[in-house]
Amino acid sequence: MKQTPQEKIIQNRMKSGNLTLEGFLGNDKRHYHEIINEDLMLLNSFGITKEQVAEKLQQITDLAFEDFEGIADKEPGISVEYISIRGRVISPFNVQKPAHKGVIHYHDNNKDIHFCWTPLNIKMIRDYGFFEGKGSKNRLEPALIYKAFFSK
Amino acid sequence: MEINAFVIFFAAIFTSNILLTNFLGMCSFLSVSREVESSFGLGLAVLFVMIFTTAINYAVYHLILVPFDIIYLQYIIFIIVIAAFVQLTEMILERFSPVLYYALGIFLPLITVNCAILGVSLFMVIRQYSFLQSIAYGAGSGLGWLLAIMALAGIRQRVKIKMVPAGLQGAGLTLIITGIMALAFIGFSGIAVIQ
Amino acid sequence: MILLILQTTGIVTLIAGVLAIILVIAERYLADYGECTIDINGKKKEIVKGGSSLLSSLNEKKIYLASACGGRGSCGFCKCKVLSGGGPLLPTEKPFLTAAEIADNVRLSCQVKVKEDIKIEIPEDIFNIRKFKAVVEKIVDYTYDIKELTLRINEPDTISFKAGQYIQLHSKKYAKVKHSVSRAYSISSNPENPQIVQVIIRKVTEGICTTWVHEHISEGEEIEFTGPFGDFFIQDTDADMLFIAGGSGKAPIKSMVEYLDQKKSNRRMVYFFGARAVKDLYLTEYFHEFENTLADFTYVPVLSQPDESDNWQGRQGYITKYLAEFVKDCANTEAYLCGSPAMINAMVKGLHACGIKEENIYYDSF
Repeated sequence: MKQTPQEKIIQNRMKSGNLTLEGFLGNDKRHYHEIINEDLMLLNSFGITKEQVAEKLQQITDLAFEDFEGIADKEPGISVEYISIRGRVISPFNVQKPAHKGVIHYHDNNKDIHFCWTPLNIKMIRDYGFFEGKGSKNRLEPALIYKAFFSK
Repeated sequence: MEINAFVIFFAAIFTSNILLTNFLGMCSFLSVSREVESSFGLGLAVLFVMIFTTAINYAVYHLILVPFDIIYLQYIIFIIVIAAFVQLTEMILERFSPVLYYALGIFLPLITVNCAILGVSLFMVIRQYSFLQSIAYGAGSGLGWLLAIMALAGIRQRVKIKMVPAGLQGAGLTLIITGIMALAFIGFSGIAVIQ
Repeated sequence: MILLILQTTGIVTLIAGVLAIILVIAERYLADYGECTIDINGKKKEIVKGGSSLLSSLNEKKIYLASACGGRGSCGFCKCKVLSGGGPLLPTEKPFLTAAEIADNVRLSCQVKVKEDIKIEIPEDIFNIRKFKAVVEKIVDYTYDIKELTLRINEPDTISFKAGQYIQLHSKKYAKVKHSVSRAYSISSNPENPQIVQVIIRKVTEGICTTWVHEHISEGEEIEFTGPFGDFFIQDTDADMLFIAGGSGKAPIKSMVEYLDQKKSNRRMVYFFGARAVKDLYLTEYFHEFENTLADFTYVPVLSQPDESDNWQGRQGYITKYLAEFVKDCANTEAYLCGSPAMINAMVKGLHACGIKEENIYYDSF
């Protein structure tokens, strides 16, 4: 598909070996626009916005950050672990605003869900609706997020 | 053509404004008119390019294209001259005003494909202007473009804080404003017409 | 017919050619800023060819300002005071500068272009920073994810640094990674040993540089780094010292403790090493040894989640629990922290609760 030079640069940055070892696309061959569009349509079908998702993720991240690499056992059956790492990760969208390094693991034993994300993911979701490509380790499936945070 | 050069200059700014009457040069007009400062900067750059390319194209047309009987090449040659001149303008701007250079960003090289610039050169040929008339026309059109984009930027800055219906936000409302501005400028046409 | 085609092509080519030549000449003239003088701190003057960024012009003269992003404008480390000749403030610099810094003429040196004579002010110890070529003398595995590299420097052959400072290691291309990156690692060796530099590196799963170190380099290989950088070092006072660092954060503390040991310091020191389980502990015996050689040093490993099989008898839980036990004179205690942002955040709160003053808490903020 036709891309502006800016989009080409962003697509390249997302590939593995550029900003992070694995990159942000996993084994997805699509352009990041298509990934974003499809995920946004999924979000719409669940009736949630990307801002809501980002806000919820940020809330949990902040709680886990305060607990310092500990396990936040605030609710029964749910545990969150924040592995914080020194340094910054550069966002493929905006090199001027790097995010903290780290991984947040979320376990919900009641609903049998486990996924993980990074502080950069939250930024990319909130600002661009980018959940990372399929096959990427930190990809957040909209369906899973809906099940975990927005449904009973 | 016997029209006084000054009349052409005046008419090019108001009554036959290249942008509001001929509707040439719309893309950067619509995109850059968000802020008054960058509009002013871009307008000046367009004015600068317009005057010089009109002059150079006049010389090229009358000294090379006509004597060698290759007038059909005018489209290609004019564009080559415009492209080269815009490159030069970019270099000059980067050297002497880096802030403006960064503020204009991609729109500086986009001046090359601004149809107003090519349009002015072609009109000059069609209307068979003399050298003095061509310079007056180029300068007037540039100033007219500058005037139009600054007026639009000013209006947009005020409209920005008002409530605009969702369907009309952005380009929709801008085009309507441009249309109304064009209508207003028709009011000038009683003064002098050059087309 | 052919003549017509030839004539047409000829003329178009001629016109395009003439214009191209004009542009080349113009670029020579316009983009040539001639030679510019960089006046540093009013003392040193360097003459450089104008047109490049301040950061790269200084690098060419072997003066290295800190940079984590290589001059791309995304880390904000390369700040420098430009007194005159820097041109107007650019939009690419604004996100990294506070209003106070802008008022004080601080600029991002990777964005400032040297087009005329320019006067700048940089901290004196930047003159110590050099680019080094070194050989990997030894690689030691401390735990399942932590290695220590011993680098013997060749060119220049000695390094001058303070215990607690860090270097920027330059990785090489490997596998999917097509370009070199620079990452900061604290020096873990004693500054009194100026021919080697040791760094402790923990493997981070998505890390380009740590993966390179753990999987793609071998002893005898030549690598490059720049340094030393950083404001994290031992304060020259008599106050009690509290070290808190886990994982690879042990590196600068190791450097500091070795240095203090050599200088026979008799300051009161306690070092809390926080880790998850027994498999994350390393150099435990080594640090317990300092309890014998230093006048007043205590090493306290604390595990937050020991495995059942570990049979851990030592302290458990979070370090903040044990601060009160070991901190005797809150008002006169300095805390030196090294670790992840989350750890530092939690520790600073705990230290405040213990009565240790904000201005006595030190850590590197990268």
